[in-house]
Amino acid sequence: MPTTTRRQALGLIGTGALAVSYIATGRARAATQITVLNWQGYGTDESWALKKFKEETGIDVVHDYFSSEPEMLTKLRTNPGAYDVVLINSARSQQASSQGLLIPIDFSKIPNSDGLTPKLKNHPNLTYDGKIYGCAWVWGMNALGIREGMTKPDSYAALYDPAYKNKVALFDDAVTEVGVGALLTGQDMNNPKDLGKVKDQLKKIKPNLHTIWSSEDRWNKAFVANEFDLSIYWSGAAVRSKRNFGLPVEFVVPKEGAIGWLDSLSIPKTSSNQDAAYKFINYMIDPDFYYTWATKVGSPASANQKAMEKLPEDDLMRQVHKQKYIETMSIMSALPNDRRETFNNAWQEIKAFYAG
Amino acid sequence: MKTAGRIYLAFIIFFLYLPIAVMIMMGFNRSPFYQLPFQFTLHWYSVLRDNTQLITAGWNSVFVAVATTIIATTLGTMAAVALSRSTFRGRNVLRILLLPPIAIPWLITGTAMLVLFYWTGIGRGFHAMLIGHVALAIPYVVLVVGTGLQTIQTDLEEAAMSLGSTPLHAFFSVTLPLLYPSIVGAGLFAFAVSLDQFVISYFLATPGFTTLPVQIYSAIRKGFEPDINAISTILLLSSMALFLIFAIFVRPGGKVDKR
Amino acid sequence: MPAEGNVPASPRSGGNAATAAMPKWVATVALLLPTYAWLTLAIFLPLCAMFAFSFLSATPMGNEQVSFTLQQYAVFQTQPYMIEVAIWSLMIAVATTLGCAILGFLAALALARAGLGRSRQILLILIVLPFWTNQLIRIFSWTMVLRSGGFLDSVLHFFWAGAPSIGFLYTRPAIVLGLIHGYLPYMVLTCYIALIAIDDEIIEAAMSLGARWWTILFKVLVPMAMPGLVSGCVLIFVPVIGAFMEPRILGGPVGVTLGTVIEDQFTQAFNWPLGSALSFIMLAVVLAIFATFSGVLRRNASA
Repeated sequence: MPTTTRRQALGLIGTGALAVSYIATGRARAATQITVLNWQGYGTDESWALKKFKEETGIDVVHDYFSSEPEMLTKLRTNPGAYDVVLINSARSQQASSQGLLIPIDFSKIPNSDGLTPKLKNHPNLTYDGKIYGCAWVWGMNALGIREGMTKPDSYAALYDPAYKNKVALFDDAVTEVGVGALLTGQDMNNPKDLGKVKDQLKKIKPNLHTIWSSEDRWNKAFVANEFDLSIYWSGAAVRSKRNFGLPVEFVVPKEGAIGWLDSLSIPKTSSNQDAAYKFINYMIDPDFYYTWATKVGSPASANQKAMEKLPEDDLMRQVHKQKYIETMSIMSALPNDRRETFNNAWQEIKAFYAG
Repeated sequence: MKTAGRIYLAFIIFFLYLPIAVMIMMGFNRSPFYQLPFQFTLHWYSVLRDNTQLITAGWNSVFVAVATTIIATTLGTMAAVALSRSTFRGRNVLRILLLPPIAIPWLITGTAMLVLFYWTGIGRGFHAMLIGHVALAIPYVVLVVGTGLQTIQTDLEEAAMSLGSTPLHAFFSVTLPLLYPSIVGAGLFAFAVSLDQFVISYFLATPGFTTLPVQIYSAIRKGFEPDINAISTILLLSSMALFLIFAIFVRPGGKVDKR
Repeated sequence: MPAEGNVPASPRSGGNAATAAMPKWVATVALLLPTYAWLTLAIFLPLCAMFAFSFLSATPMGNEQVSFTLQQYAVFQTQPYMIEVAIWSLMIAVATTLGCAILGFLAALALARAGLGRSRQILLILIVLPFWTNQLIRIFSWTMVLRSGGFLDSVLHFFWAGAPSIGFLYTRPAIVLGLIHGYLPYMVLTCYIALIAIDDEIIEAAMSLGARWWTILFKVLVPMAMPGLVSGCVLIFVPVIGAFMEPRILGGPVGVTLGTVIEDQFTQAFNWPLGSALSFIMLAVVLAIFATFSGVLRRNASA
């Protein structure tokens, strides 16, 4: 009997040693690998693109995902060294760079950057202390997504129209939802003077609200299951849902205007693969990549003019991202800390109200 | 009355297994959006084979569980022997101190570990999860081995000692072999506790080192296809197999329950 | 391992000095030290650290100005909606516990009294088996059953083509259902252990005296199984009050509980002091419950 136990003990120790060596090699392998932090299914993780990028540069790309912008920031803060490229809504860029999370972008390392629309490349959102902390990637809008065949709403007020009882979905993002309330009450979405009115508008949606989505995948599954007909949705995702997944959704910008945003790719200060990160960002704004992404999968509008010019005039992406919207929409801008806090608390309160 | 009881039990078992069965079934259903009617496919299992993130997380889970089993079983057995073979003041206090890891909601212990490990620079990842999992598994090991020790008569050890063996030798040559089934049972228990642990792992995972449950939770919230069902099915069936082995090893009338 | 911290009450003070002097207690300490050092590092020190954190004004990081404050514990005043969240969390926990108590007690009763003979062991294992598997996966499974257009709807539509959807995913009943499913086996086990100890003769005696079944149930079986019921309730209520994954997955927009708020503070809002304070408030509730029922729990554990 004792011999058996001893042999078994040896076996266990052997397995333990194996485990340790496994973990050690796992760390060593990371030499030509970069980690990207992004929303799931948002361009950077298209498998055909990663395959092509690997062929060209030999760099492996792995992903980690977030389901809200605060989560993205917390992941950056609490995982130093883990990420090499991060997608940041430019409205958050100043917040992230002021906390010392990012490095300023050296555009000489991004050859494709000369195609960037200057207005977007040098957008004040991306600038902090005179330096640019993110490479403008794509822009788009948050507005309404409606099931095809239903009457197109002309106002965000449709969100609380009894016709959509229990058939409405909202996006779990404080800035967007406060923005909707602000647009409904004719206020500046980046600085509403009367937050009480904003909250009242949003609370009126309660009887219609079926779900609050926080990822594109969740939106797609719920939409397929007919859980809702009308939703606050992303313009690029609307194209993707329709083109890539064949879902009957139409993107509508109501008369109050859309909530515009500019997404950028940034490099965390703690990244140990900055050169590889630059190569990846360069690839992400490459017109060839964008053409395939936009026409085969579905995307928002590229910040790279050359990429946009490559697309046919009648492409679905172009029809959704009409040039005129750039004039009518306001872009989410950087918020001072206290206002962001106020927005967050308001949204928390409204969610608790919906739940109550 | 007895028939009613049997029907009721059948209903309870149906209730317990229904969602599991549906989950397994959906892993063999064609639609990526989980739409019915059912169309059989093995597609998601081949998708799973190429999903390196899930596979890596799966192996990570196994390695954490193996390491946890080795450490927790060793430490827990030592503690169980000390707690049952010697009497001293404060023994009850020590017994009560075994409860917090299993009695306090894991949300609280998990976030507490996150705070300490982040603050002190211990950091997160494999080693942090190991610290947490072992702490959760130890109380179960002490319980299972302690129960086993109660059934072994101390007079055997005493007899050995009266024949001139040292206490240590008596323990290794007499007690340990008799205790063997309990220790294996406790080890299985520790393995399963670690393999299924989600909450603590969730707060201690890093992007570079996650376990399967953490990866599944992240996928559920951020985007997934039915290959999640495929790997869940595998994890579920392995856990069940472990339990059945456990039930065979430690079978004193089903006296050992999970807590 | 930084274990010197506070290894609890070393057994130095032992009363076994007469028989085996020095070596015995040295061995005892050596056997116990690793375990308690480990628990100190993994449980007790973290709780202390979190307690300290709960008095900070912000998460210390980078150039953040941090000071000591009691403001985090005033959260129920500064953010009144938290009161509502707390009440809903309690109601979900109470509903789950009650549901488990009723379903679980009856299952245990059936198991103990339905004259099942040898198959009883197998049934018991069948009931406990899912409990052993990953709770997250079981909760995830419910989403496929409950969502509109899911399994439940499909079954209904099979029998009645034009039926409206009865899927109730993203409602509080869905959360409670998932939680009951998760914790029911606890209750079956604790009640079963209590019920199996009841002598058949007591019930036979009651029956021969002409007692009706409900008299037997409420005057004999329930009181005698009370320790099992109570410890089952405590063992379910405590983890359920800290649940966050279940409401998150099954509750959707209504899945806002104390647990999810705490999770948010740590993974999203980066307000660790507030998360810590909420955790400690919850811990206080848990400890109060344990203190109240410690007598019953101990009796049941030794039974």
